[in-house]
Amino acid sequence: MTEPVLSIQNLGVRVPERARLGGGAGDLTVVEGLTLEICPGERVALVGESGSGKSVTARAILQLNRSLVYDGSIRWEGEELLGAGERTMRRVRGSEISMIFQDPMTALNPVLTVGQQVAEPLIVRGVPRREALRRAAGMLDRLGVPKAKERLKAYPGQFSGGMRQRVVMAAALIAEPRLLIADEPTTALDVRVQEQVLDLIESMSREMSLSVLFITHDLAIVAGLAHRVAVMYRGRLVEDSPVDELFAHPRHAYTRGLIGSIPRLDADPDTRLRTVEDFMAMEGPSV
Amino acid sequence: MTGIDLSTAAVGRTIGGGMRRVFGRRTPAVDRFAFACVVLLLLLAVAGPFVTPFSPYEVDPAGALLAPGGGHLLGTDDAGRDVFSRILAGAGTTLLAAVGIVVLSMVVGVLVASVAALLPRWADEAIMRVCDIFMSIPSLVLALGLAAAIGPSLPSIIIAMVAASWPGTARLVRGILRETMGGSYVEAAQVLGVSRLRLMLRHVLPNSMDAVYVQASMEISGTIVMMSGLAFLGVGAPPPSPDWGSLVAQGQQFITSAWWVALFPGVAITISAIAFGLVGDAVRGFVDPASRSTR
Repeated sequence: MTEPVLSIQNLGVRVPERARLGGGAGDLTVVEGLTLEICPGERVALVGESGSGKSVTARAILQLNRSLVYDGSIRWEGEELLGAGERTMRRVRGSEISMIFQDPMTALNPVLTVGQQVAEPLIVRGVPRREALRRAAGMLDRLGVPKAKERLKAYPGQFSGGMRQRVVMAAALIAEPRLLIADEPTTALDVRVQEQVLDLIESMSREMSLSVLFITHDLAIVAGLAHRVAVMYRGRLVEDSPVDELFAHPRHAYTRGLIGSIPRLDADPDTRLRTVEDFMAMEGPSV
Repeated sequence: MTGIDLSTAAVGRTIGGGMRRVFGRRTPAVDRFAFACVVLLLLLAVAGPFVTPFSPYEVDPAGALLAPGGGHLLGTDDAGRDVFSRILAGAGTTLLAAVGIVVLSMVVGVLVASVAALLPRWADEAIMRVCDIFMSIPSLVLALGLAAAIGPSLPSIIIAMVAASWPGTARLVRGILRETMGGSYVEAAQVLGVSRLRLMLRHVLPNSMDAVYVQASMEISGTIVMMSGLAFLGVGAPPPSPDWGSLVAQGQQFITSAWWVALFPGVAITISAIAFGLVGDAVRGFVDPASRSTR
């Protein structure tokens, strides 16, 4: 098997007492003992309910929240990122690891043109403006933005939600990173646009041999996109399996609950839909 | 799926469009009136000294303390100078200085707040606590002391007022910046490798300026009043140069016999303060429509 590009070993994340919202005594553990590896070109889905620690894990990789306490190790191509300085992180962010967020409506600066924003990761790395804008147009074109060259001068407000997510992706991919972290990138989009964005992520991942860490709570998305699925529950990784195996033989009670709670078209309309808790109660607590 | 060019969004970006928006039907009549007053006042501030019916400085002992009406629209003062002419001549000093003070205070405040936001947390806190200390001294007292120490002149009053007002501005702008920095596009730019300085200059500041402009427009009216107050207390521009506060101060000794000498400059101050205050409110309404329902 190939060397993983990203290797998270035994990651722990705690909110220190002084930073806890609403008080509460002692540090709050939000992620504990998480181990996860991603190989080149591999698409890994990180699923779990709200508050299970998915986003905190993703943000730990890019060291976005400096007020949290981390332990364990996050290695990017052998280099330790936990506790790395701003200078190192600035090099890594954008050109080695990129991230896109949930809501494309707020992820773009309203006062800068689309071209300026897509080209920015190149410009901050010293690529001449004209060259950066030319490549920005090329990237927008690859991501299916029509008349990309003219649209460089447009403002984000003139784009629809789906188009904005393409712009966000163009900015994230323009510096040719090797890992894209996508934090629920389709949650704010309608189903048809969701599908387009997912297809784009998959095709870009193939074309650029880009690894993807896809964070979601929607198992339906996972099935078509990911090679591997990691399930988080209450700050711990409870399952890490290839996608087919996960759906065929879910190992953990929580995963079985997640899969079982997906509403089925062929179900009897008179029976109540079942929740994850129903499944977990049936099997007893086993975290 | 391509976006439509929202040409309506461009209204307000040209002078003609801006005028249509300010004086258009959808602007309340009060605001239109206030905008008109402010435009007129600013015109007078610039042109005032050149359109005075009488010389604002020429002394005429024979025509001292004449009542309003007759040859002198608003009467004359104790040295026989035309009150209306002196108000016109003082408009420039009072209004332009007030605008200048607010602009300078905003510049200093934005600079200090941006620097604080870029520094490590402890330095940020330290700067803000220094601002708090300054703010705990009543600004009129602080400005009065400073202006008196530098010596009464227009520049000294401007320096004193800016020195007294920037800490408040810096605190406020720091809050605005903090809010903008929480925006997801700022984080989105950060994860693409944009440095903190560039984040501040390209992403945070441009998106915070609207709120700063609103604050500036609201502060002009208070500044006019406070500046006039300082001049009234005797630290304004020295005697012959007639700013409104000094005019009120001069007339004050004849208030029982010749009320017009003190009253009309006071009325000028009042009208300006109200007009600029209403315009400040209206500007806030344009920038932040949600605030409109509150009045």
